[in-house]
Amino acid sequence: MNFDIRELIYIILALPLIFSAVAAVNFLGRNVLHWLNRLVATGVGAAIVMLLMTFDSDIPFAGQYIYLDALSMWMLIIIGSLYFAFAWTSKAYLDRDTNKRYGYLRRFGYLEGRFYALSHIFVWIMLLVVLVNNLGLMWVTIEATTLVSALLVAFKFTRTSLEATWKYVMVCTVGICLALLGTIIVYYMQLYTFGSENALNWLYLAEHSKALDPAMAKFALCFLFVGYGTKIGLAPMHAWLPDAYSEAPALTSGLLSGSLCSCAVYVLIRNIIILMPSIGIDFISGLCLFFGLFTILVAVPFVVVQRDIKRMLAYSSMENFGLMMAAFGLFVPVAAQAMLLNLFNHALVKFSLFYMAGTVIGEYGTKNMMRIHGMMVQVPRTATFLLLGIVALLGMPPFGIFFSKFFMLYGFFSSDHPWLGVVTMILLAGMLIGILYHVMRMLGGKPKRRVAGEFFGVLDSVVIAGLLVFGFIVSAGLGEITMLNHLLTNATKIVLGGVA
Amino acid sequence: MDYLVVFLVLVVFLQTRVTDLKRAVICLASQSVIIAIACFVLGFSHGNDIHAVMPGVLTLIVKVIFIPGAIYRLVKKLKNEREIVSASNVNYSTMAAALFLVMGYALVERLMPGAVGRDIVASSILMIMTGLSLMVLRKRAIIQICGLITLENGIYLLGLLMTEGLPLVVELGVFLDVLIAVVVLVILTSRMRLSFMTTDTSVMKKLKG
Repeated sequence: MNFDIRELIYIILALPLIFSAVAAVNFLGRNVLHWLNRLVATGVGAAIVMLLMTFDSDIPFAGQYIYLDALSMWMLIIIGSLYFAFAWTSKAYLDRDTNKRYGYLRRFGYLEGRFYALSHIFVWIMLLVVLVNNLGLMWVTIEATTLVSALLVAFKFTRTSLEATWKYVMVCTVGICLALLGTIIVYYMQLYTFGSENALNWLYLAEHSKALDPAMAKFALCFLFVGYGTKIGLAPMHAWLPDAYSEAPALTSGLLSGSLCSCAVYVLIRNIIILMPSIGIDFISGLCLFFGLFTILVAVPFVVVQRDIKRMLAYSSMENFGLMMAAFGLFVPVAAQAMLLNLFNHALVKFSLFYMAGTVIGEYGTKNMMRIHGMMVQVPRTATFLLLGIVALLGMPPFGIFFSKFFMLYGFFSSDHPWLGVVTMILLAGMLIGILYHVMRMLGGKPKRRVAGEFFGVLDSVVIAGLLVFGFIVSAGLGEITMLNHLLTNATKIVLGGVA
Repeated sequence: MDYLVVFLVLVVFLQTRVTDLKRAVICLASQSVIIAIACFVLGFSHGNDIHAVMPGVLTLIVKVIFIPGAIYRLVKKLKNEREIVSASNVNYSTMAAALFLVMGYALVERLMPGAVGRDIVASSILMIMTGLSLMVLRKRAIIQICGLITLENGIYLLGLLMTEGLPLVVELGVFLDVLIAVVVLVILTSRMRLSFMTTDTSVMKKLKG
């Protein structure tokens, strides 16, 4: 089997769409549905691997609407691995929700098809986000992810999930509308500088971006930053984030945190690359550093006093994305590369942690961490994996996030912001203390509550362990894996403004 | 074009006064009609091809017929609703709209003195800000949806004036997104009616911290 790049991209984009259409019609049996889901995700994963093999990251691929370069390839790897993990853990998650106590889907068996259809179309739109070549289409797809994931967040239609979804849709749509205004201003600049040829085409704009008007570009950047920043969950615009993450089904929270936020970061970076040469680095750097660190600052106290396990993970997501924005704002190669690496590591770890949080909630029937004790005794396997996941999340060696966070912090000191580096380290220490305190409370102590049983099956353990190990291998062995190293170096070049 | 701006400002002010849900939807539809006419006028002044007609036709189909239709169908189902209407919110939003109008003109005078489309720019700023204030100050879900569409209409009008319309694919995508957004919001509102027995969003304040 030998496909060229175009065919592989078509395969990647066709499979999830076809499957979600099939799942939406809902005439397949449940087992067939589960297996088809796995088959499709594995197919897409295999196609992404083949794409990685055939794609030479020095030569970007440009079609009429599609553009693939090192940065989008890196994002494809992130989304692809989460998609794969989603598909192989979804049966366990849905079965648990169907059969065991507190089963919601038990009463509504047909909802499984709908869940699969929505989730796969959600992933499909995220794949589109990183593959389209046009700033306008990037906006359209990002907005579409909000809407599709809103239906997933509200999937169980409980009162709290409705509240979360209402807030999510309202806040994010307003934010994204502001980003539309920013995109319109960019188009206006393009129209009056170059004419209407290649309208909003990213590559064309990036090659000619020096000619744009600086004042207007700054104006556009403000709207774009606020708009996509809302979607990332940067601090003053983050109100929707903990609600949506905590009320969504666990797998959806994982996808939201791991891949959707990464997509928003990706689109923001694509826009910034265009505006950077005319605005100059200083303004953008200040903006990213301030909002990034402010996000961490806001997240820390909420983690320390948190009682809801998924909200705690949501605030930890905010912390990670704040750190990544700050590291991007440093504009040094080390930090930018570590930021891309952290995008990948954080996605893997956070997906597995949200999945484990879902498991814990299923086992104990509560989200309140204060009511969970003695997990090590009662549910040893879940407890072990939870501990591993938390250790990985907090950036301790040997897990992947250690490497990326280390180099991001190193970036602070190697550029001329050592004091910001110190502040960041103090904030991260606060985060570590908060999370570790809550998790140790849950793991240790005497059990006070009956559990519904050990829900962490063999297949899930393999997938979750695979995610953790995969993150470790990629980050620790980056120097040895020539292909990934080359890809990441090229992606870093693109992030820092050099069009590949 | 001047008459259109006058009507637009009138409709937006009416929107801030309305508390009845059906009238709010009718206001929204008439606002979109004005936007559609503006689309045709602006479109034909630039050219006669498909791109001149497209925004107007899409606005007519999506924002005049489909969106108000969907919301209207929902509103008809909302009976026996617990009403929490406070007159002060209405007055606040009208006051805010008046301020936004003055602010819009001041901004336009400052940024582009004597430009051709300054009335339209000022009124689209009015629409954007009024839409935002409707979403923040008002508590009923339907009014908030109307505010969102008003905001979107304002941005769309501004974009149309500035750029003579986005590229065709992007334009189609934007309309598709607005369409899906309204469908999602209508689903959520009808679920809200089932779960909370009301569409007043101020009852939803359980999630904090």
